[in-house]
Amino acid sequence: MYKSIDEINERIRDGSVRVVSAEEMPNIVDELGVTGALRDVDVVTTGTFGAMCSSGAFLNFGHSEIPIRMEKMWLNNVEAYAGIAAVDCFIGATQESTTRHSEYGGAHVIEDLIAGKSVELHARAKGTDCYPRTSITNEFTLQELNQAIMLNPRNSYQSYNAATNMSDQAIKTYMGFLLPSHRNITYSGAGCLSPLANDPTLSVIGSGTPIFIGGANGVVVGEGTQSSPGAGFGTLMTSGNMKEMSSDYIRAATMTGYGVTMYVGVGIPIPLLNEEIVRHTAVRDEDLKTNIVDYGTPFRDRPVIREVTYAQLKSGSVEIDGEEVRCSPLSSYKKAREVAAELKTRIETGSFTMALATRPIDSHKINKPMAEKGYVCHVNEMMVSTFVTITGEESVKEAAKRLLKGETNHLPVIDSENRLIGIVTTYDVSKAFAKDEQDMSVSEIMTKNVITIAPDAPVDFAARTLQQHNIGALVVIDSSRHILGMLNSYDLGDLVGGRGRR
Amino acid sequence: MKLMVEFDSDGVQYPNIAAAILRSGVMVNVERALIDGDEGWALLDVDDKDADMFITALSRKGVSIRIQKDAVSHNRTDCVDCGLCISICQKQVFSFDENWQLVVDSERCVLCGRCATYCPQRALSIQK
Repeated sequence: MYKSIDEINERIRDGSVRVVSAEEMPNIVDELGVTGALRDVDVVTTGTFGAMCSSGAFLNFGHSEIPIRMEKMWLNNVEAYAGIAAVDCFIGATQESTTRHSEYGGAHVIEDLIAGKSVELHARAKGTDCYPRTSITNEFTLQELNQAIMLNPRNSYQSYNAATNMSDQAIKTYMGFLLPSHRNITYSGAGCLSPLANDPTLSVIGSGTPIFIGGANGVVVGEGTQSSPGAGFGTLMTSGNMKEMSSDYIRAATMTGYGVTMYVGVGIPIPLLNEEIVRHTAVRDEDLKTNIVDYGTPFRDRPVIREVTYAQLKSGSVEIDGEEVRCSPLSSYKKAREVAAELKTRIETGSFTMALATRPIDSHKINKPMAEKGYVCHVNEMMVSTFVTITGEESVKEAAKRLLKGETNHLPVIDSENRLIGIVTTYDVSKAFAKDEQDMSVSEIMTKNVITIAPDAPVDFAARTLQQHNIGALVVIDSSRHILGMLNSYDLGDLVGGRGRR
Repeated sequence: MKLMVEFDSDGVQYPNIAAAILRSGVMVNVERALIDGDEGWALLDVDDKDADMFITALSRKGVSIRIQKDAVSHNRTDCVDCGLCISICQKQVFSFDENWQLVVDSERCVLCGRCATYCPQRALSIQK
């Protein structure tokens, strides 16, 4: 059995359409079977409401008397991209204010406009024969703009990694505040209510699919940036008219220590055309898997701690290493339900009709990481490979001799298998001598938590690490904690002087 | 319940809390405190039934004591019920009800202020 989009639209017109939310669908399919559900239900509504950094809007101001070709532009002191014609700009959600920094950004400008507030425009130009003006300062509201078209390059992730932090320092991330030693887990996404989770093969959703976005009836433009549906991480590029949006569904936000982002409400109706589509919309939180990854490491390929289902995440606690760890979302499930419910109302009342996609999205695509072709200076090029070490059993007095002999301030401590277990510095040794503790063993005074770095890390990352921990040297180690060298802060001075630059 | 004890320059000179514990026989848990040379405060957790007895025992010169109520101010208009505060808070002040709406139990708050700092919508504040 199958159903056509025209039949569904006919039912929308005559008011007999049956719409249910993706949350209700699994039980309906259990009860009626796939064929029964297809006969009974016409449209499944989905919804999500979460932080979607890759969002923004095209604005058109119209021409001033004595026109200007705006080249640099700020809206409420947030820079917008003005390199598109004379009086157009793109305001990006994550761009931060020059005065209020991460407390106000592009997302806040967008939210203020939607809320009907007035926004200050300041623009500069070089002046041309056809556009003689060189600067303009003005106030405008959303209604005064010719166009305000939200165009979000990457929205509505199919699923997203959950985050924890295995390091012993708290970290501030776009996944929120992560306590040290995996004391919390944060996750994003609406699970079984999520749009792409209900169409993982992208057999319905494509270019031209009508959607609910930020309160407006909008459209899927096509594949989103960084989309990786072949790996379960599909994304969509979405668009909608800002003039029809509401701050109920668009909210600026700040992830403290990370920056500005924008919460966007996106809902996609899935017309039930055949049994395969019905089967996909019957997905439960128990079927949707993601990984909890360690955001405590700075690397691109963050270690996977464990696999987890959205049902486990939504339960509020997940086990890691035999401990129950509290977990909470940063996307709003309550709002996601409101999106799906609002979309359902619009379809039932005839103000939202279905359409087939005009172009499919490649559902096998896998996203590639950046291949750095430019010259990057790595730690192994700047480190010193001749270094002195000591074992934990030796005395503080011996450590003092070793530091002098090695003409260094840092003495890594190793075990019998030459693995790094700690570090002592000239400061530690001086302190021990001052307290008459020179006969103590090194292991009693050493710092066990050594700040280390990998040989293939870029040096600018090493510099940030030194600065963050306020230390003078990093121990360079391999994966089995064998010491490869030392990276001293004064070696990084050579970067400015020439070594390591081209 | 939580008791907020505040000391002025006279109050910090004397082991008031210890004396009140001995005098009343009531066990209290000091959950957060900041005391220096000339002033300070301490947040105590005490069994509801023992609170009056402890308050009576503590009332001394230079010491003020009150029941700590409504420490967390939650702006419902700004909040989007995302729930990020839930796992950040070590005292389980925050939770979801059955409709995924945020519930705030201020009684459990020890005024660390982390939720206010990290709320993406700036919808939480702490009133000491």
